[in-house]
Amino acid sequence: MNVLQNGNAARRIKWLLREMFKYRWLYLLLLPGAVFFFVFKYMPIFGLRIAFMDYNQYDVSKSTWVGLAQFQRLFSRQSFNPVLFNTLKISMLKLLFGFPVPVILALLLNEMRSLAFKKTAQTLLYLPYFISWVIMAGIVMTLLDPTTGLITQFIKYLTGKDIMVLSNATYFVPMLVITDIYKGMGWGTIIYFASISGIDPQLYEATAIDGAGKLKQALHVTIPGILPTIIIMFIMNCGNILNAGFDQIFMLYSSTVYKVADIIDTYVYRMGIEKNDYAFSTAAGMFKSVVAFVLIAIVNQLAKKTGNEGIY
Amino acid sequence: MRSQNRIKRSKGEWAFTIFNYLFFAALCIIMIYPFWHVIMSSLSSADATMKGGVFLWPKGFTLETYERVFKNPQIWSGYFTTIIVAVTGTVLGTLLTAMTAYALSKDAMPFAKALMVLVLFTMIFNGGMIPNYLLIKNMGLIDNRWALILPGLISAYNVIIMKTFFRSIPDSLEESAKIDGANEAYIFIKIILPLSKATIAAIALFTAVGYWNDYFSTVLYINVREKWALQAVLRFMLTQTTQALAAAGVNVVATTNMTAATIKAASVVVATVPILCVYPFVQKHFVKGVLIGGIKG
Repeated sequence: MNVLQNGNAARRIKWLLREMFKYRWLYLLLLPGAVFFFVFKYMPIFGLRIAFMDYNQYDVSKSTWVGLAQFQRLFSRQSFNPVLFNTLKISMLKLLFGFPVPVILALLLNEMRSLAFKKTAQTLLYLPYFISWVIMAGIVMTLLDPTTGLITQFIKYLTGKDIMVLSNATYFVPMLVITDIYKGMGWGTIIYFASISGIDPQLYEATAIDGAGKLKQALHVTIPGILPTIIIMFIMNCGNILNAGFDQIFMLYSSTVYKVADIIDTYVYRMGIEKNDYAFSTAAGMFKSVVAFVLIAIVNQLAKKTGNEGIY
Repeated sequence: MRSQNRIKRSKGEWAFTIFNYLFFAALCIIMIYPFWHVIMSSLSSADATMKGGVFLWPKGFTLETYERVFKNPQIWSGYFTTIIVAVTGTVLGTLLTAMTAYALSKDAMPFAKALMVLVLFTMIFNGGMIPNYLLIKNMGLIDNRWALILPGLISAYNVIIMKTFFRSIPDSLEESAKIDGANEAYIFIKIILPLSKATIAAIALFTAVGYWNDYFSTVLYINVREKWALQAVLRFMLTQTTQALAAAGVNVVATTNMTAATIKAASVVVATVPILCVYPFVQKHFVKGVLIGGIKG
C-alpha cells in the first residue's frame, strides 16, 4: 500500500518535472518578472514584520519582537484618531459626490449624436487623469493664489471676502473633493461609456417599440446593462476607502490645515520618513493595508451573494 | 432606426438635446481653461496680476519669468533624470510585462494559475511606504537613479491587460510554429510580439506616464538635488518657491517683474507642455488600454 503510494508520488513528481521541462522556455521568460514580484512586491510585505518589532535601524539584529505594542501605541495616541477620522471623512465625501459623476456623464454622452463632439468631449474629459498631482496642484495653487488667484478674486467679487481656500480649514476639504472629481471623472466615464456600447442594441429597439422614451430607456435598459461595471467600480472604491488621496493632499496641505487634512498616508510619511519612527509608521501603514484587504473581500462577497460578478 | 427617432422626437427631447450639448460644451471649457489660465499667468507680469486676475490673455506680457525658470539648473537636471528614467523604465518595464504575461497566459504550464494569483494578490495587498523605503535603503539604492526605475517596472494591472490580449491570439499560430520546432521564447519574439504592437503601445504609454508623473520615488529615495526627477523639482518650486529659487541663485525680492505666483505658473507650464504636445497623438492608445484593463479589473 505504502509502496504503491510512494510509487505514485514518485511518478507524479517525475511527470511534473517532465511537464516543467517541456515549458522550460516559458519559465525562462517568466524568470525576470518573478524575481521582480518577489523583490519589489513580496519583500516589502515580508518587511511588514517590523510593525511587530522595536526596530533598530542602525543594527537590525538588535531589534526585538514586541508583539502588538506598536499597534497599541498607535491607537492610544491622541494624534491617530483624528487622522483616521479625516481619512474616512475625505474618502467618503469623495465617494459620495464623485462616484455618480462618471455614470451620469457616460449616460449623457451616450445621448449625443455628433461623433466629433463626443470624441472631443471624451478626449478633454480624461486629459487631467494623465497629468500628475504635482502639476494639478500647481494649477490649483495658481487659481487659488491668495492675491493673484482667479478664483480667489472671483470669490472676493461675489462675497467681498478674502478667502484663502488652501489654508482655510472649512474650505480645504470641499476643495479636495472637487479637484479629485475633476481629475478622475474622465477615466470613469470612459469605462462606463464602453460598458454602455456593449449593451445589445436590440434591447433599445424592443423598448422603443413598446413606446419607451429616452428616460425610460436609460432607466430600464442602460443602467441595468452597466450595473455589473458599476458594482466592480464600487468594490474597487471600497477597497480604497482608507486611501483618501495621498498625492493630492501631500501636494496641497500645509500645517494650517493638518487638523482636517492629515490622513493615514501623510501621517505615515511624517512619522516614518521625517521622524524615522519606522516600526510605528509601518504599523500605521499595515493597519491601512489590512483594513483595505478585508473590505475588498467583504464587498466582493456581498456582490457575489447578490448575484453579481465580483472582481475575483 | 435613426430617422424614425428623429421624426418621433418630442419637444422635451429637443430641450434635452440642446441642454446636453450646452452642458458638454461648458464641461469642455472647464477642462481646458485651468491649463490656459496657467499659461497666461506665466506670461503676465507681476504687478499686472496683482491688480486684477488674468482671465483670457496675459496682462503686462513678459518672458522674464521663463528666463528665470530656465536659468534654474535644476529644471534641466530634472528633465535629464526624468527622460533617462522614463525611457529605461518604459523599455525594460514593457518588455518584462509582456514576458511575464505571456508565460502566465499559458494555463497548461505547471503553477501558472498559482503564480497568477500571487501577481493578483499584489493588487489588493502591499507592504506600503515604509517597507518599500527600507527595501531600497537596504539594497543600497538611495541616491541611485535605479531606485526611480526598478520599483515601477511591472504592475499587476498591466500584466492582466497583456495576458487578456495574449489569450485572444489563436493557438493555431503558435502550434504551427511549434511543429516546425520553434521554442516558446522564439515564438514570443517572432510571432507574438509583432502581433501585439497596439497593446504593447498602450502598456508602454501607461508605463511612460507613470514614470513621467512620478515625484514620490524621488522624495523617498533621492537626496542629491542633481538627481531629482522633474516632477520633484516642480514640487519643490511649488511648495518652497523662495527656497527653490534661492537654491537656484535667483533672488525673488530683488526682481520686480515676477512673483512667486507667476514663477509657479511658468514652472508648471515647463513641466506640462511636453505632455500636452504628445497627448492628442497618443490618447487613442490610452483609451484602448483603459478599455481592455478596466472592464474586468
